Amino acid sequence: MTASSSSVVLKNLAKSFGAVDIIKGIDLVIEPGEFCVFVGPSGCGKSTLLRLISGLEEATSGTIEIAGRVVTDAEPSERGIAMVFQSYALYPHLTVRQNIGFGLSLAKRPKAEIEAKVQAAASVLQLGPLLDRKPKALSGGQRQRVAIGRAMVRDPAVFLLDEPLSNLDAALRAQMRIELTDLHKKLGATMIYVTHDQVEAMTMADKIVVLNAGRIEQVGSPMELYNHPVSPFVAGFIGSPKMNLITGPAAAALGCTTYGIRPEHLDLSTTEGQWQGRIRHVERLGAESVLYLQTEAMGELVIRLPGQDCPAPGSIAFVTPRAGRSFRF
Amino acid sequence: MSTSFSRARRRNMGIAATAVAFVVFILPFLFTFLMAVKTKKEAALFLFSWPSEWHFWANLTEVIKARNYMLLLAYFNSTVITVAAVAGLVVFGAMVGYVLQRRPSGWNRVIYAGVLMGLMVPPAVVPTIWVLQGLGLFKTIHGMVLIQVAYGLAFSVLLYRSFIGTIPRDLDEAAIIDGAKPLAIFFKVILPLLKPVTVTLIVVQSIAIFNDFTNPLYYLPGKDNVTVQLTLFNFQSQFQSQFNLLFMNILLVTIPPLLVFIFFNRQIVAGMTAGAVKG
Ligand SMILES: Nc1ncnc2c1ncn2[C@@H]1O[C@H](COP(=O)(O)OP(=O)(O)OP(=O)(O)O)[C@@H](O)[C@H]1O
Ligand SMILES: [Mg+2]
Repeated sequence: MTASSSSVVLKNLAKSFGAVDIIKGIDLVIEPGEFCVFVGPSGCGKSTLLRLISGLEEATSGTIEIAGRVVTDAEPSERGIAMVFQSYALYPHLTVRQNIGFGLSLAKRPKAEIEAKVQAAASVLQLGPLLDRKPKALSGGQRQRVAIGRAMVRDPAVFLLDEPLSNLDAALRAQMRIELTDLHKKLGATMIYVTHDQVEAMTMADKIVVLNAGRIEQVGSPMELYNHPVSPFVAGFIGSPKMNLITGPAAAALGCTTYGIRPEHLDLSTTEGQWQGRIRHVERLGAESVLYLQTEAMGELVIRLPGQDCPAPGSIAFVTPRAGRSFRF
Repeated sequence: MSTSFSRARRRNMGIAATAVAFVVFILPFLFTFLMAVKTKKEAALFLFSWPSEWHFWANLTEVIKARNYMLLLAYFNSTVITVAAVAGLVVFGAMVGYVLQRRPSGWNRVIYAGVLMGLMVPPAVVPTIWVLQGLGLFKTIHGMVLIQVAYGLAFSVLLYRSFIGTIPRDLDEAAIIDGAKPLAIFFKVILPLLKPVTVTLIVVQSIAIFNDFTNPLYYLPGKDNVTVQLTLFNFQSQFQSQFNLLFMNILLVTIPPLLVFIFFNRQIVAGMTAGAVKG
């Protein structure tokens, strides 16, 4: 089941609900077969943008092209897309088999064809033994797979996924991340994936689109965004723990409005360094430790150290930013 | 100590509840049955006593044959009215409730206010008859069906509207993505999920409409249009003192709703609690 992958092109796309502008002019090109992730804080318009592409929401202005065809005014079912909802949205009264085949049976496809496609999707997603169950009798991860199966049988040019993993527990989420990446490789289809989890964005994406208040902050590969954020917003959003962002007189003294340095790019010393401070709190994670250092000059700085050896809370320490790793905005 | 106390208490409560249920529900039914199998003379005494002679079959055939098999005609008429009206209530109630819940536009607010009015404003008989006469629907079975649908629609719309509110909108949207047109979304996704409410509505409304006495009396006069409850009315005037036949008639009229109730009992309870729990 290899779907023909397609490009998605958004031109000056905007959406308002009444007088409130939610999406404020988006220009974006998504290449065929790309795994594109929309990230941003809650309420920034990620879901709305995805729903505009799907056709569930009508654009106020601008155009949407899928596979070179302008689909701005087309019905959702005619756009060659399939969508996976955060809530899965499985039909509770239908079995897994009927759920997956629902669209095909609406289109009055022959029974044999529906069955063949359902079986094919079920074997890719390992749903074979569950085909006759109702969604109620499935676990979260299984429901997730059924929702993906329902999208797959449509043979879409573009998959749209709205926070598909947010209802799963951490372990299952990590596993599904890998499964989804594998599935993307196997199908070769274009995927647009919405999340507010920057780990999902970093690990799965070919291209990340960082959204902020209805505008694109930056578009790029995960490492581009990590190494060259264009704004404090992107710098603070990508990477965990968050980049230290210092504003005010301390930043002005360094010749910028916002000074940024990632926790992993601060070197700690007990004897000497650029900034002196007192360690307020230590989080030991085993492989690494996170320190909170209260400094006179820069306010609180978060420092990430490999391993478990670090000074005790309350002691005095010095930090130095690694050369060439700081950002000035 | 405390558990034995509460267990005894629970048992006493159970006995009390059973006794009340017996007095309220079983005794009248038993009385009706005993009256129905008595002779004319014995029934006239109105005693809660065991019949001295069993006249079950004699009374039964007499009631059925009375007035040229009027009871059978009444069964037929009542059944037609009930089935047609309940079908209308379910389909229109669910459709209107769906549109009102899912598409809140300006007009829908006006319509919703109209639905609420339908619950609050008592129906006026004489103007309704004028309207029926004007439309040529007075004294017709389909006119009666429309009356029953009109009277019950407000309630069923409200019931469906609030239940549809618990069905996530994502389901509609998933169906849209799957290529479903509005009618397909309604009939293939929404309506099947409304089954608990539909069962409740079928039971409540079919019993109410089948047992309706006043509305057929006002809007459906005429010998050919008789409905089951009106057969009692006819009996009382004709057999002034034949209470055995009257009670036999009551017994026969009570049975269909009773069967509906027993048959759907489980689903009704499920339907009433359905909205309460998510899932
Ligand atoms: N139908 C609507 N009518 C009015 N406002 C809406 C509507 N849908 C969304 N909004 C508003 O649009 C903004 C963006 O919503 P959206 O659901 O796209 O956010 P999001 O980025 O997906 O957030 P989250 O991460 O919480 O899902 C929010 O402020 C929301 O209140
Ligand atoms: Mg969202």
